[in-house]
Amino acid sequence: MKEWLPFIVAGITNGSIYGLAAVGLVLTYKTSGIFNFAHGAQAALGAYLMFEFRERMGMSWPLAGFLSLLLAGVVAGLVLERAANVLATCSLAARVTATVGLLVFIQGSLIAIYGAASVPVRPFLPQKVFRFGGVNVRGEQIIVVALVLVAVVGLYLFFTKAKLGLAVQAVVDDPALLGLAGTSPVAVRRFAWLVGSCFAALSGMLLAPTLALDARLLTLLVFFAFGAAAVGAFSSLPLTYVGGIGLGLGASLATKIIGGMKITGPIQGLPANLPFIVLFIALLVTPTRKLVERGSQVVRRPLPPVTFGRRTTAVAAAGGLVIALIVPHVVNARLPIYITGLAYVILFASLGLLVRTSGQASLCHIAFAAVGASTAARAVGAGFPWPLAVLIGGLVAIPIGALLAIPAIRLSGIYLAIATFGFGLVIQRLFYSSMFMFGGTFAIRSPRPHLGGLHTDTDVGYYHVVLAVTVACLAVMVLIRRSRMGRLLRAFADSPTAVDANGTNTNELKVLVFSIAAFFSGIAGGLLGPITGQAAAASGIDVGGFDFSVSLLLLTVLFVAGRQPVFSAVVGSVLLVIIPSYATGETAVKWNPIVFGSLAIVAALFGGRSLIEWLASSRRLRERSATTSPQAERTARPDLVLEAAR
Amino acid sequence: MSVTAERLNPQTTDAPDLAVDGLTVRFGGLVAVDDVSLRARGGVITGLIGPNGAGKTTTFNSCTGLNTPTAGTVALGDRTLNGHSPAWRARLGLGRTFQRMELFDTMTVQENVEIGREALLAGKRRWTGRLFSTPSEADVCGREAEEAMDHCGISPLATKTVGDLSTGQRRLVELARALAGDYRFLLLDEPSSGLDVGETEQFAAILSGVMEREGIGILLVEHDMALVRAVCSYIYVLDFGRLIYEGTAADVLSAEIVKAAYLGSEAVEV
Repeated sequence: MKEWLPFIVAGITNGSIYGLAAVGLVLTYKTSGIFNFAHGAQAALGAYLMFEFRERMGMSWPLAGFLSLLLAGVVAGLVLERAANVLATCSLAARVTATVGLLVFIQGSLIAIYGAASVPVRPFLPQKVFRFGGVNVRGEQIIVVALVLVAVVGLYLFFTKAKLGLAVQAVVDDPALLGLAGTSPVAVRRFAWLVGSCFAALSGMLLAPTLALDARLLTLLVFFAFGAAAVGAFSSLPLTYVGGIGLGLGASLATKIIGGMKITGPIQGLPANLPFIVLFIALLVTPTRKLVERGSQVVRRPLPPVTFGRRTTAVAAAGGLVIALIVPHVVNARLPIYITGLAYVILFASLGLLVRTSGQASLCHIAFAAVGASTAARAVGAGFPWPLAVLIGGLVAIPIGALLAIPAIRLSGIYLAIATFGFGLVIQRLFYSSMFMFGGTFAIRSPRPHLGGLHTDTDVGYYHVVLAVTVACLAVMVLIRRSRMGRLLRAFADSPTAVDANGTNTNELKVLVFSIAAFFSGIAGGLLGPITGQAAAASGIDVGGFDFSVSLLLLTVLFVAGRQPVFSAVVGSVLLVIIPSYATGETAVKWNPIVFGSLAIVAALFGGRSLIEWLASSRRLRERSATTSPQAERTARPDLVLEAAR
Repeated sequence: MSVTAERLNPQTTDAPDLAVDGLTVRFGGLVAVDDVSLRARGGVITGLIGPNGAGKTTTFNSCTGLNTPTAGTVALGDRTLNGHSPAWRARLGLGRTFQRMELFDTMTVQENVEIGREALLAGKRRWTGRLFSTPSEADVCGREAEEAMDHCGISPLATKTVGDLSTGQRRLVELARALAGDYRFLLLDEPSSGLDVGETEQFAAILSGVMEREGIGILLVEHDMALVRAVCSYIYVLDFGRLIYEGTAADVLSAEIVKAAYLGSEAVEV
């Protein structure tokens, strides 16, 4: 028993911090309907600010802590409240993209300023050791547990006793009514974001001394909060807190158990990934009626994507192909980057099919590509001919995609987005290192093809192979979009209920679209490996690697690139892969997340439309208002005025 | 032939009846529908009226499979619908519209109406038929959509995006989409809500036309009493989840208990 006690103490301490972060997350989600994916990044921000004030400016820790809390908690909370207010009427994609963009932006900025290496942090709370019944407890641990307990209990009492607290519960369900009853919903929301942000910042500051400063790790660890929030069904604050403690304890004890068993394989990653597994399972088993989607009733009607005329499309396609054929003759040594760009066109197009055409949320697209890349490489290693190996990579990704359709059938909207997020993390952290995938070194040899007498293993030769595959994939995806299935998917994006009520089972549609998207992403993955000669699960936002953060970047860039099936895919690839390559290597890696994170936030806040669409549609809107002015007619309806007022 | 004579002496049709028997729906502690039984006959329009919150839409949702009844059965003709998916019920021939208008807002009117047929066809086909249409199926969808849009008077709007239309036009698009499907019974949920008087009259004419032409049964949830009186041959009245009255249009509209339910008087005991 005795050897377990230190693990229990550490588990409860960490669990308290996860609980604190999770309670803050649930609070903001409950009151605004915006699920803040950047919650963990905010925690990292708090920790880094404290480091800056304390270590670089030489302030005392209480002052540094206070200032960090003020900036990363209070000020950030007030800003976020304003942003959440704008986002409340945006589409789901816009709401997800905005906070994911914020995550990418904050994390990228921190890495750009402080570097990616982790920095040790001097503890600031008392380290004096007390002895309780045979176990050593540090003063720091006692303070953390007590502080969190006081904060959570205080918040809970406030909710059940105070008027403003009760109002918080009402604000999402019917803000207009609450306003009529004399409580300003703005005040309630502002309070919630303030407290939520402070909890996030505080959890980061408390975690930093035990973890060291590491923007990626801190952001990820506060994702533990997602698991705790799922335990509370994204609604109950006490259960969320208990979930946090449970996860901290579970992870700590699992470390002890598995550490003692001396086994290898995916199970080794279990303790560190317990929260993501809990998150995924909780979303699979929680009764759907308990997972109330907040604030989904007030969404503005979407505008259709801008379409181009037949002639414009034909000219653009021909022009694009000509440019693609000229590229190898003019870019010289940069050609591998253009090959990556082509593979990314497939990635963007398949993500677009899932996110834009069918309206599903997916935050794990790169995981499919990772499956395709590793499978294709292993298939070539096993002696399969190269084209067949890439095809197998795509085919193996299909069941993974279908697996993801299981939560998609149960969940919709934001919960599906969260589930895909957890799914991507589980695949990466449990399976990337397995023998099926990249293996312990996170890299496997992935040779280029030798097709007959053609020099397909040179840069120029391989470029043409990838170009052919890309054109073929795009053609198939365009055909799918124009087929019966494509029409049903577009209809599904607008109203799943109506598709069901008209005779097509939407569950089948979901399985199909996830499988198809996974297939093409898998193909893209199979094409990526041979560019450098090895498929590697590089960590961090590296184009060509398979870290989960690339999934986030893909979504944000796609959002900026627009809603056209092919054109936006090409634009996305040019934005993400080609243009940054012309900046010097180091700068590009630094600036990519910052630029795309902020662009996605801007795009989401300004109407949830891409910048390109904005330009194209402003002309159309003018024409429209000149003829019938349906917008005016719509706002003349009292119920819609009420909706708009929310 | 007058519409009135038509509805009092319905043609003998082979259109199935929709039968709800002992339906009870509970949401936690709230009893939304309490032991409701009704029979909407094929070939005529039956009304289902009652104040807001009476359980009308909940009854509809039980019929089309959007909720799970606590007790009771729903049947179309001789087929029991309980336990089947909404899509299965649609394929059996039960179509519906929604009070909150579930339309495909980013698509054109024509596409919306065509999907009324295409989704049904896709649901009935196997394998590749789910994914790709044959030229003859495309013809059927196009023809049915054209006819349905024509009957609803929205052919001139065919190329407009549905999200841009007025409420009245959107109601008609949803009706046309249901008509384009090959349904044997239609549930219409407050189709005239948000329409002005002229539009409602137009809607009544369209509904009567539909019934005459297609010979199918319609169950209509409606607040507009003028519309109800004009088209319904038999009416059921719900209040607080219970069936409080049933009878012909004239009976129902003069019944004290119905007036009390609508005006909120407590003078009449249920």
